Amino acid sequence: MITLKNITKSYGKKNVLKNMSASFKKGQVYGIIGENGSGKTTLFRCISGLENYSGKIESDFKILKNHIGLLMTEPYFFSKITGKEYIRLLNNARQKKLTTIETNNIFNLPLNKYASTYSTGMKKKLALTAILLQGNDCFILDEPFNGVDIQSNIIITEIIHKLKKLDKTVIIASHIYSTLVETCDEIHHLKNGNFAKKVSKKDFGLLEAEMKEITIGTNVKKLEID
Amino acid sequence: MKDYFYLQFKILNRKFIAFGLHPILAYLILFVCFLGFSNYIFFTMDFAIHLYILLAFRVLIKLIGKQKNDFLKFLLTKKNYILTKLIENFIGILPFVFFLTYKKLFLYIPIFIALAITSIFFNFNRGFNFTIPTPFYKKPFEFTIGFRNTFYIFPIVYYLLYISVSVKNFNLSVFSMLMIFLVVSSYYSKLENEYFIWNYKTSPEEFIHKKIKTGLTYTTLLSSPIFIVIGINFTAEFETLLIFWLLANAYLTTIILAKYAAYPFQTDLPQWVFIGISIAFPPLLIIQIPYFYFQSRKKLNTILE
Repeated sequence: MITLKNITKSYGKKNVLKNMSASFKKGQVYGIIGENGSGKTTLFRCISGLENYSGKIESDFKILKNHIGLLMTEPYFFSKITGKEYIRLLNNARQKKLTTIETNNIFNLPLNKYASTYSTGMKKKLALTAILLQGNDCFILDEPFNGVDIQSNIIITEIIHKLKKLDKTVIIASHIYSTLVETCDEIHHLKNGNFAKKVSKKDFGLLEAEMKEITIGTNVKKLEID
Repeated sequence: MKDYFYLQFKILNRKFIAFGLHPILAYLILFVCFLGFSNYIFFTMDFAIHLYILLAFRVLIKLIGKQKNDFLKFLLTKKNYILTKLIENFIGILPFVFFLTYKKLFLYIPIFIALAITSIFFNFNRGFNFTIPTPFYKKPFEFTIGFRNTFYIFPIVYYLLYISVSVKNFNLSVFSMLMIFLVVSSYYSKLENEYFIWNYKTSPEEFIHKKIKTGLTYTTLLSSPIFIVIGINFTAEFETLLIFWLLANAYLTTIILAKYAAYPFQTDLPQWVFIGISIAFPPLLIIQIPYFYFQSRKKLNTILE
């Protein structure tokens, strides 16, 4: 379980996260939605220990970051490092010995080719494979469905279901609402640096309708298209 | 075309400023270093010209970049593209040509000019798109990437060793060994994204120890054949060789530590000056290594714990 207590994060004068509190339980999948720049990535960086913040983050682990598998929105890749070596690098870092990488290549990636030459979707699939093999207890997935093909979207959805069954904590940020509906137990709406709303599965439809109403409003009508 | 060179000039100046140097001072330092280095190799080595050609080749390779070339091709007409690349390559070899003129070694100048012209038509990134095998694949990333970027230097180093042994030139043989250390040191010039450090399930101390251990082990693998060959062929100079080898290992350790002492930024000018002073006065390493060690531990602590 991960508990956030009054997390505040500012960049200069800009408050990105304001006194935020929440808890993420084992065996549950959480979705985070919010506009671009609403603070989703900052929140993930704070939980992962990549950013300093004020407030407290508690967990069942001595050092939480060592149990988190973090999938970045745009995973970074070195040039001249193969897919296989990337997986090995991330697993060596977590002191996880891998005997077979090929059998775990569920996305059929060309693992002997340089990862930097992969397409956006392939890079995301490689980064996801690497963190899955690390054997983490918590997963923070920032836009896991972005840029990947339909087939892989189906596989990722299945993986998330499997992680839930394995009692892992999964937090996902996505702009594709339907994928969150399919995978999450709870969705948190991040707005103005705090969770404006938290809804459980039965109210996902209501949240979507509400968001549509607020977001679209009269905006599309205003657009002058001939 | 004029804009392209003006931009390149501005980018270079910005790099100097970011490094903490005024551009004029930087050009002056580069000029003095190049002149000093050129004089040194031509004074101490019989085969300095081979090394000089190699260095010019390295500079030209640096100027070849698939993305940059593609961008220029897209932007310029074919004629202007060739002209731009030609001017750029000539600027690259100009210092070498000036020094050769100063040394009255006019016969070699056409080789450099030929290199500058032919390299216009190369697009190395495209040629090397296949995966280059590396013996260091088990522990990515410094040696894995570094070896793939510099693999062609090792046969040259071994060739230099062969020449040095055949002409009984101890200085050249030590130089060939030090070239390995120089090349390996460049592997640590690339800063890794914080994500890769963050992933480590170790304390900062363990992280540093691992990096140093891997660096020294793999460098030993690359340099020990040279060390052994020199040791066998120049038995009278074994003590000197050993001192050079130990010092090279110590400087490599310093460079690894300096990298993380400056993290998340590149090793800056004061740190390089500090390292430079210790090269002139090696006992300073006794202070320098612990200093960089504690600094890097402090920097890594914010990411790893």
